Amino acid sequence: MADVELQAVAKTFGKVAVCKGVDLRVEDGEFVTLLGPSGCGKTTTLNLIAGLEDATEGDIRIGGQRVNHLTPFERDVAMVFQNYALYPHMTVAENIGFTLRLRRMGRTEIARRVSAVAESLELGPVLERLPAQLSGGQQQRVALGRAIVREPRVFLFDEPFSNLDAGLRLKMRAEVKELHQRLRVTSIFVTHDQEEALSLSDRIAVMRDGRIEQYGTPADIYTRPVSRYVARFIGSPPLDFLPGKIATEEQRTVFRMGALAVPIDVRTVGELGNSPLELGVRPEHVILGAEGAPVTVRLVQPVGPATFVTVAWEGGSVVARVPGMASLVPGARLHVSVDPRHVMLFDAASGRRLSI
Amino acid sequence: MAGRSRVGAWLARSTVIIGLAVFTFLAVVPLLWMLLSSFMQQQALTATPPDFAPASFTLDNYVQVFSSAAALGRGFLNSFIVALFTTAVALAIGAPAAYALARLSVPGANPILMMILATQMFPGIVIVIPLFIVMSRLDLIDTQLVLIIVYLSFNLPIVIWILRGFFLAIPPGLERAAAVDGATVAQVFRLIVLPISVAPLFATAVFAFIESWNEFFFALILTRQSAQTAPLVISQFAGQYQTVFGQMMAAATLAIAPVVLLAVIFRNRIMQGFADGMVKG
Repeated sequence: MADVELQAVAKTFGKVAVCKGVDLRVEDGEFVTLLGPSGCGKTTTLNLIAGLEDATEGDIRIGGQRVNHLTPFERDVAMVFQNYALYPHMTVAENIGFTLRLRRMGRTEIARRVSAVAESLELGPVLERLPAQLSGGQQQRVALGRAIVREPRVFLFDEPFSNLDAGLRLKMRAEVKELHQRLRVTSIFVTHDQEEALSLSDRIAVMRDGRIEQYGTPADIYTRPVSRYVARFIGSPPLDFLPGKIATEEQRTVFRMGALAVPIDVRTVGELGNSPLELGVRPEHVILGAEGAPVTVRLVQPVGPATFVTVAWEGGSVVARVPGMASLVPGARLHVSVDPRHVMLFDAASGRRLSI
Repeated sequence: MAGRSRVGAWLARSTVIIGLAVFTFLAVVPLLWMLLSSFMQQQALTATPPDFAPASFTLDNYVQVFSSAAALGRGFLNSFIVALFTTAVALAIGAPAAYALARLSVPGANPILMMILATQMFPGIVIVIPLFIVMSRLDLIDTQLVLIIVYLSFNLPIVIWILRGFFLAIPPGLERAAAVDGATVAQVFRLIVLPISVAPLFATAVFAFIESWNEFFFALILTRQSAQTAPLVISQFAGQYQTVFGQMMAAATLAIAPVVLLAVIFRNRIMQGFADGMVKG
């Protein structure tokens, strides 16, 4: 068990800078997710922590010790790979026990540890099978078992569920979370799936273009994103941005977007009044009903516990989340408003969120 | 639209089939001719046109070849020893070299690869005289060792080149996983890469074996009698005054039998070996 710390870590491949100064601190026993679109440097960051790539600049510390020069094995980290990377010519038992065999552990001790791990992952009945004879979920569990059996200081996960179908993905997500609650081993998890990040993590680092754009708890990231980039990346469907401007109407400060105005609490109206702004609002805070601006329903997408309703708005559209299976039809005319307690204002030029 | 694209597909398919048919014809006809003439009498064979009457067919050629079995037997044995050692050494050295060039950051890897390729561009005739002089100074002429050395010099680059392609096609995740599990580079190679490369190693071995087995030119120059390989012994059926075609072809049929058998018996593994390299690459 150990904490992990990255200080100004940079990595270039030839002339391409993939990590441009990553600072990250993961506390002992914490579950942290690196979240971002493909090409943002999250997997490279994970490989740098694992020791599969050498950092061009910066320090990587595990348990307080600088590990830049150590091999993956010496860093005492275990990794679960995206495509499982199971050794195809070895049985499940051999796959899990391979790392112990490399440490010249005795046969009986290896067998004991492997069967204990297999038991906990429900792999007992398939121990003598080859990876090709397993289902996707079983393969994924073997990959987990291979990581667990070592009792490493840190677990690293590189998009481990991306090859699984949706149902299995949910099941494995729960298993990984349970595993972490049981073992409390420091874990770093890479994914581009925001829902996976929200559901698993103690903290999330949202990455953008080789840097960490925001690092915080899931609640922080969801409710107080620092930028339009983070806001749009988290939440499904993503929030909508409505251009408008700040105005004073009837002695109240409002953000006016065409026919709709939202009261807001801004201290420095003067400065903000001039720059182009956007209001960000999540679907669950868009209210359809009798009040607000008149709109027309364009699209109705029921998903079970809720229905996402897209309404035409000022040349664009806004999505509202309506509880249950709503019986709206396209073309229906109603009114839209937004919950003023949950709106966010963004500077349209820089994309930064303004504190209001 | 649909009709035109169907015609296009049909045309493309026909072109491929015709191309393959021509290639197969060119490859198979000499073999069939060899097999056929090995069963024919000399007069029938040299007649214009050849006389294919049933009476022209005979087993005499094979009987004659087997009666000179001592020479041919020695030739086969030499060929076998030379091909076996060449193949074994080429794989033992070539596989680690190919892996290093495929995966490790070898200094000057590209120049090395260029040089490996360049060795394939020399016609044998360019180097044969200096080679002969060197080998005779080393007193290696007419030994199996000289053939093993020379065959290695052109088999090793091919082995390295082919195997490097296979190793490049292995998903790097496996080796990364093994590195995280604590394997050294040598252990990754021995415990992960080699066991999953059995099919390509086999295909490459068969290829190297056939190359050595069939080699004629260097064997002609560098051996005299005791180290003569099968192709040389066969060529001697072309005597000074008369070429005994039937016997020559009978001997040739016997000579290619082992490699044809090798290819037929292991065809699935060989095909799988080459297919592995292609699909994943």
